[in-house]
Amino acid sequence: MKKLTICVLAAVFAVLGSGPLAAQEETIVFTPQWTAQAQFAGYYVAEAKGFYREAGVNVRIEHPSSTQPAMSRLRRNECQATTLQLCQAMEIIDGGIPLVNILQTSMNNAMVIVSARDEDPLKQKGARVGIWSVGFGQLAICMSIMDNLNYEWVRFAQNVNLFVAGALDATLAMSYNEYYQLIQAGMQISDRNVYRFCDHGYNVQEDGVYMTRDYYEKHLDQARRFAEASRRGWEWAAEHPDEALDIVMKYVDREHIATNRVLQRLMLEDVLRLQVDRESKQREFRLRPDMVRLASDLMVENQMLGRAVTYEEIIPNE
Amino acid sequence: MKDRIIDYIRRKLSVRVSLWVVLFAALIFIGALSLLFFQARESVRQEAVSRATQILDKTSLQVESILNRVEVATDMTEWLVMRHPDVADSMFVYSRGMLQNNPDFYNCSIAFEPYYFEDQGRYFSAYSKHDADTVRTIQGGSDNYQYFYMDWYLMPKLLDHPCWTEPYMDLDVPTNTSEMVSSYCKALKDEEGRFVGVINTSLSLNWLSNTISAVKPYPHSYSIMTGRGGTYFVHPDPEKITRQSIFTQTMEHPDTAMASLGHSMQRGEEGIKHMRVDGIDSYVFYKPLGQTGCSMAIVCPESDIFGGFDRLRRTIIAIVAIGLLLMLFLFIRIITRELSPLRRLATEAETIASGQFNAELPDFQRIDEIGQLSHSFAGMQQSLVKYIDELKDTTAQKASIERDLRIASSIQMGMLPKYFPTGSDRDDVQIYASLTPAKDVGGDLFDFYFRDGMLFFCIGDVSGKGIPASLFMAVTRSVFRTVSAHESMPDRIMDSLNKTIADMNDSVMFVTLFIGVLDLATGRMHYCNAGHDAPLLVGAGVGTLPCDPNIPAGVMPDWKYSLQEAPIYTGTTIFLFTDGLTEAENVSHELFNMQRVNDVAVQALADRQQEPRQLIARMTEAVHSFVGGADQSDDLTMMGIQYIKGEASGKENAV
Repeated sequence: MKKLTICVLAAVFAVLGSGPLAAQEETIVFTPQWTAQAQFAGYYVAEAKGFYREAGVNVRIEHPSSTQPAMSRLRRNECQATTLQLCQAMEIIDGGIPLVNILQTSMNNAMVIVSARDEDPLKQKGARVGIWSVGFGQLAICMSIMDNLNYEWVRFAQNVNLFVAGALDATLAMSYNEYYQLIQAGMQISDRNVYRFCDHGYNVQEDGVYMTRDYYEKHLDQARRFAEASRRGWEWAAEHPDEALDIVMKYVDREHIATNRVLQRLMLEDVLRLQVDRESKQREFRLRPDMVRLASDLMVENQMLGRAVTYEEIIPNE
Repeated sequence: MKDRIIDYIRRKLSVRVSLWVVLFAALIFIGALSLLFFQARESVRQEAVSRATQILDKTSLQVESILNRVEVATDMTEWLVMRHPDVADSMFVYSRGMLQNNPDFYNCSIAFEPYYFEDQGRYFSAYSKHDADTVRTIQGGSDNYQYFYMDWYLMPKLLDHPCWTEPYMDLDVPTNTSEMVSSYCKALKDEEGRFVGVINTSLSLNWLSNTISAVKPYPHSYSIMTGRGGTYFVHPDPEKITRQSIFTQTMEHPDTAMASLGHSMQRGEEGIKHMRVDGIDSYVFYKPLGQTGCSMAIVCPESDIFGGFDRLRRTIIAIVAIGLLLMLFLFIRIITRELSPLRRLATEAETIASGQFNAELPDFQRIDEIGQLSHSFAGMQQSLVKYIDELKDTTAQKASIERDLRIASSIQMGMLPKYFPTGSDRDDVQIYASLTPAKDVGGDLFDFYFRDGMLFFCIGDVSGKGIPASLFMAVTRSVFRTVSAHESMPDRIMDSLNKTIADMNDSVMFVTLFIGVLDLATGRMHYCNAGHDAPLLVGAGVGTLPCDPNIPAGVMPDWKYSLQEAPIYTGTTIFLFTDGLTEAENVSHELFNMQRVNDVAVQALADRQQEPRQLIARMTEAVHSFVGGADQSDDLTMMGIQYIKGEASGKENAV
């Protein structure tokens, strides 16, 4: 059923992609995979500072709702570019929709499991663990299977209320987002009740900007300029974090997001930290073949992918 | 400056006494006021606690009554729903009915698990909401709103009991207005107990927000409401509502008091905390709001609660401080006035001290201590005047006596031989003598004269000093002259003299006396010693003239004195002296003693200075050098008689 849907959607993309809408000058609607926050600071900066305009691309940033995956907007052609985590992108490619990574921003994995105070996530066999309904957390599912933890996954829309209310034994969290939300909710977090995937052999890159391969190939130049201007936005944000935070707060206020400057500052710091490669200590903006292979192997082994998805399938054709 | 103040205080009795009194009064005030302030402050605090507690209890009751209504209505609707769990359309009726029967409810959803109704697809949620005056009922689930991932759906399912969700802002897109809402959710279960869906009734909390916001027991106090996660749902700063939690600030600036308050509120505890909120010392009163998981707190700045009390305290402290200063001022004035007679007395005392003994003293007409002092002072002045008069008389008498003494001294000295024969005057003997009395008049005597080719001489020392001794000395000398005028043997002269002066000696005085008669032709000397120091003979050597032990003259009239005889060779000097020489004291109370007399004589002899004048000069110099600055304690008399008969022929004699 799932595969059939994906095939139908692929056909729709093909039809739409070859139509007059695919002209070079058309606006790229870009949908980050989450509501407005500092996780997308580089794109806000690129738009606010006019980097897109200078690059000659029309970009409009539209956020998804909390229960609507960004990918569903891409499928419906409601947007032409979206951010996805690498594992999500591989699932979609495996599902039959070829995607192209036009800009990789994350160089490290940010996912953590946070358990109730004094509980060790690795000792909570069969625990109820929260997971995002929009499809992050593939590595956590792999880890749960491989470490024989057999977590009972509870999908939630967003925020940490369920965990704080005691309805969950543990929850998945991003180190730049929910992790700080939990601290803000008065959770006492220590090394004992936090499991960081990046430190346990699951350091797989996350956020990157993706387009359908079909759209990309028809708008090569526009896509490259969009990617280049986005990268420029991130580099500017890294150099001017305070000004970048001001820009983020404008987007946050415009979208009526219930957050605050403290959380967004912590998020921006962490997202920028995650963009620095652990080995080269550089902000590389590239997909690492070894991480693609690691993610593919883990997901194939745990039946989350029907076949191996290769690095070459994801990157643009030269 | 400090030294000047201390010096001023030390000089002014009135300031010192006033300061002590005021200091003591201040200590009593401080003690009493501290106790009073402590008690009063505690009362104010208790009043604030009771006021805040009443407000919190009232609000909590209000909330609970409305929540109860929601919970009862939801329970009833759940019962209806589960009577027809398989009829999807009836859910719209129940959902709508809930709002029609309860116009103050915000919305109602009766939502089911995906694909629960085979003909309804993945989503089925009968959702009703007030829309102007009507109720709008729709199927609420969609790809854009996958309700089964929402908190209100998951919480009762996972917790397995009905519950209230964390408040959230419900945005009404057409009107772009937000409503703060909390939902009561209850799981729907079929007959086998399987979870099939959730019934959710929401209540707008705007009224609660308004009610809590309006709670303002003090001018600068405010109220807050937080959810389970500490999120602010009511706060005077609209920027913080739903966006920040009570812990947000502690993430950047650790604040254990704030974190502790947050955790207490999260746990649904009730209490009071005294802490700093936004840099202001405040009291925070908090209490949970029913079963919503929310907690309400009233933040009251300490300055508000204790504002009136602090103003009163400041006023009292100011009054007390001014009162004490006034007291100090008045005390200084009063004591200065009361002590002013003392100052006058002091001035008068200075006048009297300057010599004006008859200065008139003021009459204060007082019967207190100062009056007594004044009277005593007047008595003292009279005594002083009398004493000074007596002193004047005494001084005049003393001056008269001194004058008499000076005359007596000159008379006494006049009695002593003034002419001393030397080698150039006579060829048989040369004599020299000196008498230095310890007082104006002394008791020592010496005398000599020539008769019938013989030298009659004597030296004596009367017991005691001063005028009595000098008179006794004059009598002795007169008797010596009288008796020796017709008697040539010293023992008989002594016997006669002893008898004479003993008979007239009512004052029990005595005299040590050495009488010698030197035959100038032969050099034979007869002598009699009545208890006097034996003379030295300084000739070929230095030796002491042997003397029999006899008692002093004037003691026993019948005493028989012995006669002694000795040859005096040419060139030999008979050195006679009184005990004023041997008993001369220096500042260390050491005596000059006989040994030193001998040593000086030996040295003089070695220097060939044994002539009377030279020997006495050497002896005088030695004794002065020994005594130094010490007072002369006794009369000092020395007499030297050198026999020089035939010395011109160069014949040397030995003693």
